[in-house]
Amino acid sequence: VTEAERSFEELQRELEEVVGRLERGDVPVDEAIRLWQRGEELYRRCAAMLEAAAGRVEELAAETRDSGVPGM
Amino acid sequence: MVEATLHGDRKVYSVSAFNEGIAVWLRRLPDVWIEGEVTELRRNDAWATMFFTLKDPTTGASLGVTMARRRFDALELHLVDGEKVQVQGRAEVYEVKGELAFRAGAIERLGLGDHLAGIERLKRALAAAGLFAAERKRPLPRLPRAVGVLTGADAAARGDVVMGIRARYPPMHIVVAETRVQGAGAPVRIVATLAALAAHPDVDVVVIARGGGSFEDLLPFSDERVVRAVVACPVPVVSAVGHEQDTPLCDLAADVRASTPSAAARLVVPDAAELGVALERSRAGLERTVRRLLTRDRERLERHVERLRAAPQLLLERRRATLDRAGARLQALSPRATLERGYAIVRLGESAVRDAAAVSTGALVDIELAVGALAARVEETRP
Repeated sequence: VTEAERSFEELQRELEEVVGRLERGDVPVDEAIRLWQRGEELYRRCAAMLEAAAGRVEELAAETRDSGVPGM
Repeated sequence: MVEATLHGDRKVYSVSAFNEGIAVWLRRLPDVWIEGEVTELRRNDAWATMFFTLKDPTTGASLGVTMARRRFDALELHLVDGEKVQVQGRAEVYEVKGELAFRAGAIERLGLGDHLAGIERLKRALAAAGLFAAERKRPLPRLPRAVGVLTGADAAARGDVVMGIRARYPPMHIVVAETRVQGAGAPVRIVATLAALAAHPDVDVVVIARGGGSFEDLLPFSDERVVRAVVACPVPVVSAVGHEQDTPLCDLAADVRASTPSAAARLVVPDAAELGVALERSRAGLERTVRRLLTRDRERLERHVERLRAAPQLLLERRRATLDRAGARLQALSPRATLERGYAIVRLGESAVRDAAAVSTGALVDIELAVGALAARVEETRP
């Protein structure tokens, strides 16, 4: 699975791990900065995926509101 | 009276003599009553005799019946094929052909009481055979692909069912089959029509609709063949025959009994409007759920990013605190803190003086204080 193919849930789980490691505070400072960067990147990607999903929900909701139940 | 010729010790009869002998013997038998269904009725104004076949409806056994044509006409029965009758008479041989027939002196159409008793007997027998048992009843389909409607030419019952279905579920496919539903011969047609409807590829349920009528009019719906056909029908059957109090046997055999044709319509199709409302409700629920999931994920993500951003700061602060503590400890270990408390360091040259004996009187020493230093000359040393 390439980075781009990973699901929202997988990315979010990694973000959780990154946050957890940072919060335990037992990482070297250089590593902490690297982890932070990684966390920010994961956040951007998760947020983009959520926005895309929300946009699709709005589209579908508008579509179904216009169509009504067929045959009724 | 019957003459035989003798061939040696063998008595031999001619064919006519034998037939006559049988005829004579048969005439000695008493009159009996026989019950059966009339079929193959043949009557012609030019004939002296009329004919029909009496059939046993359950076994199919048959018997030829003859009657004087004038006598038959006088009865004014207007019998048609399939009618149940009781015939009084006796067996008779048609001497020219040696054929046995039943010579009728009287024919009676089956009376109301006989029909009632017959239906009651049949009802008990079929009930005992389990044909009306509740566990045989099948549930009706929630939304059939097509509804089969079996009716007579009776427009009212047919209209009630069709309009009832259209009112509740306008796009429903309805297959209407009309047939003769009263009089003799109706049972056979009803059975055939029911089979044809059930064989239709889309028909998932059949309604048998027949408006009210006289007891005799509804008799075909208590006929054993019709009752058995309803039980054997491959799709569920709703029976709406006659009025509430009639209860023909096919009502008992059907999977569901409806009090009227309109009630039958309500049973076989769902209400389209209600269905639409339920569907709309499901769809709204679907949308709500998806939005809730999205919100949950978004909130969780925000919490994570907050923690992510706070974490490096916290980490650095913790490191700084550790550093500060180390600095403080370092501070505590340095002599400077001792000087602050009023101690002083005396140096002779580079080294600190720990023993008075190491210094001679008149030597120059440096005295380091918490703040500043003194240059001093030793006046006196004491051990």
